[in-house]
Amino acid sequence: MSWNKVAVVGAGLIKMGELFDQSYEQMAAGAFSAAVEAVDKGFDPSQVEAAFVATQRGTLWGQEGIGGNTIPTAIGLAGIPCTRIENACPSGSDAFRVGAMAVASGVHDVVLVIGVEKMRDKSTEEGLLSRAAAGHPIFTRGETAPVLFAPFATRHMAEFGTTREMLASVAVKNHYNGARDPYAHFQNEITIEQVLASPPVCYPLHLLDCCPQTDGAAAVLLVSAGRAHEFTDKPVFVAGFGVATDHPYLHEKDSFTEIKVTRIASDRAFQMAGITPAEIDCAEVHDCFTITEILDIEDLGFVEKGRGGIASLEGETSLTGRIPVNTSGGLLAKGHPIGATGVAQITECWWQLRGQAGDRQVEIRNGFALQHNAGGRGSGVAVVNILTNRNGI
Amino acid sequence: MNQVRILGVGAGAPSLRLLTADVNAAWDRKGGRGQAGLCGSDEDSLTLAWDAATAAIDAAGLDAGVIDGLWWGTSRPPFLDGPSHAILSSALGLAPHVAGILCSGSPHSGIEALLASADAIKAGSARFALVVASDDLRPAPGSSYETRAGAGAAAFVLADEGGGARIVSRVTRSRPLLDRYRGDGDTSQRDIYDGRLFRERIFLPLVAEVTDALAGEDISSWSVPDPDGRLGSVVAKRAKAPNLTCAPIYSELGDTGAAAAMLGIIGGLADIGTSAAVAYGGGRATAVLFETELPVAGTEHLASALREGKPVSYSKALRVRSQLIAGGETVPMGVPPESALFVRGAEEMLQLLGGRCVDCGTINTPPSIHPHCANCGGPKLEAVQLARQGTVHTFVINYTMPAPFEAPLPIAVLDLDDGSRIMLQVANDGSQVEIGRRMRLVLRKYAHERGVPVYGFKAQPITESQS
Repeated sequence: MSWNKVAVVGAGLIKMGELFDQSYEQMAAGAFSAAVEAVDKGFDPSQVEAAFVATQRGTLWGQEGIGGNTIPTAIGLAGIPCTRIENACPSGSDAFRVGAMAVASGVHDVVLVIGVEKMRDKSTEEGLLSRAAAGHPIFTRGETAPVLFAPFATRHMAEFGTTREMLASVAVKNHYNGARDPYAHFQNEITIEQVLASPPVCYPLHLLDCCPQTDGAAAVLLVSAGRAHEFTDKPVFVAGFGVATDHPYLHEKDSFTEIKVTRIASDRAFQMAGITPAEIDCAEVHDCFTITEILDIEDLGFVEKGRGGIASLEGETSLTGRIPVNTSGGLLAKGHPIGATGVAQITECWWQLRGQAGDRQVEIRNGFALQHNAGGRGSGVAVVNILTNRNGI
Repeated sequence: MNQVRILGVGAGAPSLRLLTADVNAAWDRKGGRGQAGLCGSDEDSLTLAWDAATAAIDAAGLDAGVIDGLWWGTSRPPFLDGPSHAILSSALGLAPHVAGILCSGSPHSGIEALLASADAIKAGSARFALVVASDDLRPAPGSSYETRAGAGAAAFVLADEGGGARIVSRVTRSRPLLDRYRGDGDTSQRDIYDGRLFRERIFLPLVAEVTDALAGEDISSWSVPDPDGRLGSVVAKRAKAPNLTCAPIYSELGDTGAAAAMLGIIGGLADIGTSAAVAYGGGRATAVLFETELPVAGTEHLASALREGKPVSYSKALRVRSQLIAGGETVPMGVPPESALFVRGAEEMLQLLGGRCVDCGTINTPPSIHPHCANCGGPKLEAVQLARQGTVHTFVINYTMPAPFEAPLPIAVLDLDDGSRIMLQVANDGSQVEIGRRMRLVLRKYAHERGVPVYGFKAQPITESQS
């Protein structure tokens, strides 16, 4: 049925947050160690044959030229082949996909995929907000991260009657989940009223509609499916993946009520996995802003186009809902250390499919979990990975 | 010699106003009436000139490409030494071979540009001449001139035939006297050394020499210089000038420097009869006599061009004049304005060009990032100017940016009337932005980076008087 050539046998992350006391290298070592310790039958780090590292914004931690050489030495694997993947917000997702292809190709049997990001070694002004002055001198002048998604909210509200309360319900749900995730940046529950009353950041988005700036790292260990049982009796397999690209600038978007690359990437992933959206038991999706999750659940096929807001408000995506989304707390509560985000989402899917998600465990009926990121200026790239606990070999 | 006729006129005014009472209160002076025009941080003498010139070209019914020369007078070009003229020409869509001069050095430079352009028409070296006078005066904080120094622009399109008015005659007097001036390193004008000396021995005698030369003419309307809010009425009284068409300009915008004479006479060009524009500055005075046979095209838009200034606090005025600067670092533009991208992209940015696909007609913006069509992948694209009006498809208002950005900053995605889509900052008051709102594109300053002004188009809501 599924592709199932690659298994995830270990996955882990460090507690997300403003990790002022940890270096990029220390975060990476922590995540790698967590992934190694998660392997049921034990794992000798020297078995790692190659690594793929996802880091999106080296400029935010002060080393502009990160290459593949940065990580292996830091985590005790000096000398192994290592390649840095930078593909905007889906960098971590894409490193996972590329790592899976490296295993599936037969070149490597055991691969480490690790995502690491330092967001808080620079001040907010000099760090993330400085992108207001980056890019094209006219067409992207003033384009901070919320500007990339807020126009979709304005248009979605106008076309479908989506309200600020519906947007807020996404943040409320993800903070509820985050309060049940020991690795989440924010572990407090919030109310719709608090979201509405938070300060405006970029109309129509307010502070609690936005994910925080988070340092973090996550790692997963991939092995060829045929060797999975050397490491665990409960492997999780890669069932499918898809990537799509679109024009980089917002003015080139055909539609401001969908993220086209999400739709195309997920179509490709579902086709590869041989399943439909209805067979997904839970999903970790890109909720950098509340509107993004509303668009995601429409574009991934979980709800009809235009119903994302009302579906969120009515609890369809909650832990006990029809399609639980962002059980980890999502980017909104768990945090968005960009290169690490996709790998951390994979880790959550791995826990859910293995029944290890604790208070936030959802019912696994069909055995499929979906992971998704979109980004790249005006959502110019999206990656979708589908995992399964079904052994299709 | 050819006649010099006026085909169309246009005016430009800054978006902000500074009230005299607010300036006085800041310096513990009592009362005070009146106001002056003030450029917002995305406006300057070049963007005001663009506003006025665009309106004049429209009024003349011409395509910008047929204009033979741009004569631009301003005491504050955006570059003291640099490509001011070339940037304005390009942003106006004038031909690459356009002739003309940037006249500067004093507030008299506006009328000097008018005389030079008139000479080109007379001599037949230009068929269509565009003359623009603009200024964005920068007084020193606390100076007596601070309540008076304003900003504004006027533009005329000249030709040797057509139009409703002509230039009849002119007279200039020049004497080596010091009044207001800026020396090397001065960022604002030095105030007059001795007010009485200036009035009695410099200003009034020099202006009288040119107004006396017009004695005997039957002049129905006047524009006279008024550098302090009182001297204008003295000049008018001595010249027996009853109808001052410059009065509404002074009361709305204050002293518009190099633009004052041409802005002040637009009212005169609206009525049949003879009118006189008198300019003063830098030890020079000039009077130009106009004969209006039919109201000149564009004069009817003067009032609406002057309207819609928003009063701001004195501290805001100091900030936009760069006289009150926050401590700390500002975030530099990712692409330095001296770099290759600005060389490659100079015209596509200033003229807002797109690349129209020869195969499918899709407009790809800007051309330099689209070697292939985004829609069909075709490799053949031709540069076209994007439509200058459109409708808001969606928008945001950004409240969270580091310095030097100013919040709130509205940014709109527009569906332009040529079918293309563009995302631009919104100029002026973003509170009027909503989905479906009709907008027009105007040239504004996007940044002032490493001492270099960076210009591009912004979107502005179309008001009822403009539609």
